[in-house]
Amino acid sequence: MARDLAIDLGTANTLVYMKGRGIVLNEPSVIALNRQTGEVLATGREAWQMIGRTPGYIVAVRPLRGGAITDFEITERMIRLLLQRVGVSRFTRPKVVICVPSAITEVERRAVTDAARRAGAADAQLIEQPMAAAIGADLPIDEPVGNMVIDVGGGTSETAVISLGGVVALEAVRVGSFDIDAAIQNYVRREHGIAIGERTAEEIKVAIGSADPTFDENEAEVRGRDLMSGLPKTVLLNPEEIRFAIDDVVSSIVASVVRCLAKAPPELAQDFLVRGMYLVGGGGLLRGLAQRIERETKVPVRMSPMPLEAVVLGAGHCIEHYDALKGMFMGARR
Amino acid sequence: MTLAVVIVICLVALAAVAFLVLARRRPDDGVTSFRRHIDALSPEARREVIERVQNARESGKGK
Repeated sequence: MARDLAIDLGTANTLVYMKGRGIVLNEPSVIALNRQTGEVLATGREAWQMIGRTPGYIVAVRPLRGGAITDFEITERMIRLLLQRVGVSRFTRPKVVICVPSAITEVERRAVTDAARRAGAADAQLIEQPMAAAIGADLPIDEPVGNMVIDVGGGTSETAVISLGGVVALEAVRVGSFDIDAAIQNYVRREHGIAIGERTAEEIKVAIGSADPTFDENEAEVRGRDLMSGLPKTVLLNPEEIRFAIDDVVSSIVASVVRCLAKAPPELAQDFLVRGMYLVGGGGLLRGLAQRIERETKVPVRMSPMPLEAVVLGAGHCIEHYDALKGMFMGARR
Repeated sequence: MTLAVVIVICLVALAAVAFLVLARRRPDDGVTSFRRHIDALSPEARREVIERVQNARESGKGK
């Protein structure tokens, strides 16, 4: 008998929660393929290590962009391999709950459920990421009080107001931490004349990236390829210029939080001043982001204790209480 | 003739009973399922899942 699964199919990472067991898989959403034969060479962490370092016949790709499937066939293969790794076979067909961005279109919704069913799921249901995040962040969403959650993922940022087990207001933008990496890559290319890969850009973000000035600021040495000479070159970057480079992306995330606050009913809006907003997702770990949102909204921002796992935890809770919570799945609104 | 009348009366009676049962159950079902939904989202119901992952995380750190 298959154990039912909850999957956080993120642009950056895929996490799988197994009913009664907990998180059984946490890997980057990357797949490496042989360009000529189409054969899968690696998935997850192993494939992630290949990004930007492959010979011509290998391609390491992220089949999801902005929380949406950009390549249906590759995504289906990736989901099938992930399910195989957690013990799903043609004889054990589990029920699966998949977390997806709330702004997903009908076509994208069908693409995800079809991919999961073809990959071996007996039934595939979808749940909105901010709803799952609020459950996983342990917010009192069963009470008639305003709970606000900001989920900054790899490709999307979503803010939701939740009360009495349902979404009251929602705001989503297809901007996330990958856009921050891309902004760093573009800035270094434009201002310093060197080309860097997406992994290096991510390392810069982790090392010195910030959304607001912080007390411990250091410079970072970055190595790349000089665009003029084609030779390897080292430059020194400071946090101030990275803040400038990523400001458009950060501003658009903050603006979506402000729009969501404006949509909230006044009775719930007053709760935020006392209870604050909760930040989840890998993008929420950007230094100074909570501080910046707090400064611009005048509402306290708190970090969830398990920001990277909150979404899959919420979906995992739905799989543990499937019958009671099936009204939360997309397309099953009360 | 009598048999047909009896059958029709039985069918009408059954339909009436079914209608009454459904009419009485509907509002109650809404309350029950909403209660179940809210109870399943309570911090106590979520505790098990959160603790399971927290414990696994801590034991992973310890290794």
